[in-house]
Amino acid sequence: MSELERDRHEIAAVLQQPGVRPDPSLRITRRTFVHKSCLVGAATVAETFAWWPLLNTLDVAYAAEAPFKFAWISDTHLYPKSLNTRFVEKTVRAAKEVQAMSPPADFLIFGGDLAQLGKVEELELGVEILKEINIRKVFIPGEHDWYLDMGKKWGELFGQPNWTFDHKGVRFVGLDTVSRGPDYWTAKKMSPEERMGHMATLDGTVAGPWAGVGRDQLDWLQKTLSNWDQNRPVVIFSHNPLYEYYPPWNFWVRDWREVNEVLKPYTKVTNIHGHTHQVLYNEIGTMRSIGMLATSWPWPYAPEGVPKLTKPMIRVDPGDHFDGVGWAKIDVNAQDKVEAEYVMWRKQVFAQSPDDYAKSIPEVLRARIADNIWPY
Amino acid sequence: MTAPITWSFTLFRAAPAVALAVLVGPAVAHKDPVTPQLLNSYQQVFMEQVRKGDLLFHGDAATEEAMGVVLSKTGMACAMCHPMTADTHPATFPKFQAQMAKFATLRDMINWCIEKPNQGEKIADDSEAMKALEAYIYWSQSGTVLNPGKF
Repeated sequence: MSELERDRHEIAAVLQQPGVRPDPSLRITRRTFVHKSCLVGAATVAETFAWWPLLNTLDVAYAAEAPFKFAWISDTHLYPKSLNTRFVEKTVRAAKEVQAMSPPADFLIFGGDLAQLGKVEELELGVEILKEINIRKVFIPGEHDWYLDMGKKWGELFGQPNWTFDHKGVRFVGLDTVSRGPDYWTAKKMSPEERMGHMATLDGTVAGPWAGVGRDQLDWLQKTLSNWDQNRPVVIFSHNPLYEYYPPWNFWVRDWREVNEVLKPYTKVTNIHGHTHQVLYNEIGTMRSIGMLATSWPWPYAPEGVPKLTKPMIRVDPGDHFDGVGWAKIDVNAQDKVEAEYVMWRKQVFAQSPDDYAKSIPEVLRARIADNIWPY
Repeated sequence: MTAPITWSFTLFRAAPAVALAVLVGPAVAHKDPVTPQLLNSYQQVFMEQVRKGDLLFHGDAATEEAMGVVLSKTGMACAMCHPMTADTHPATFPKFQAQMAKFATLRDMINWCIEKPNQGEKIADDSEAMKALEAYIYWSQSGTVLNPGKF
């Protein structure tokens, strides 16, 4: 059994114990199982896809005091305008669409990776584009924002990377899952650019398991939630997913066990995360987790570990840079329901048949080697 | 019904040669037996191509310059959409490739990605860079089952 398989068995043993599920109000409702492919597709399609949830009509009973919407944008990965205009175009489009929401969103959460290589001009370009949006904006960092100057510029622009506020009966928490990476640069005397380069390579082997919440922040989280009724809704924003999906790409936080310990008493926790650039849904113990699209480019699903509850996104056309990407709106309506809707700019969001799913072709992949040879 | 007789006769005539080969061993083989040293040297040649391909695939500027290629002008590298070569599906080529609307090889697809998403400069089919990229992609996916033609 591989190390990944061992970890996956452990996560199942620790978190997926009999009877432990998210609060019924957080679970996928019956109507989310009724999907176009089940109604019009072939029998085999229905069999394969029927049990996957349809994310954009997720119903969640939230004890909201009043209906409201908020918007999510993340993973814009901006390069300087002179190098890449496509990423700029897509960020501009997302910003305009969020600003045009009617009625307007109560706030925008930016979920990290505003910049590609953490440069001042990239971060400032992001701020400039997001000026289009004049509702409240809150930010959490991504690793691409951080490792050039260790968060200096990001902090100057956006302040504390972790925070909390209450809004209409929901407690929102922003977590920093990126800044506590193990020091891989000092011993090798890396320049800030080299450090950033390794961090910016998703499948790199040098930066290691950098994604984590950290003991200090876990203590802060515990304290932050301690005066909150355990049966009232909590929404946690994080750049990385708070469970183990695929560690080689840091599609996890390395201290997911401790995160689960802190969150266990709370029955209505929803984690919304970026970083994975793909449609994702999972239920981990009493928490549910929703992965958001990037505006920049879609990542493929990992070769293993895709949560079984995820109804996968459609296979993307690499010739169309507006395909497979977008933003999201989350709507808390008058019936105290929350609907999370992916705004993907092309075609269907979800795979309509097994052939639409890239992982219908199984892959066995090896980790890269060239970055293990030092110096090159 | 002459064929069986002919075959039997041929086998009969070949029998001494077969016996000789069994007795004498590989001394008359067309090449020297392979040694661990030789295998190692062949493997080193291959892995050096894999290493170069890995660097090109991950947008290493120095390697691109050394090999005289411009694989991207957007800051994008192959690995940004294909970490660990995921979703390159090399085992499905050759196949009809919708983006190109033609029956395509992996090399055609590599060049399509260089020219379209990466907005780089197409490389020659038999260039060192193409062979290195191909070596890296196949090496990375060497546990994947061959499935030529699969969408």
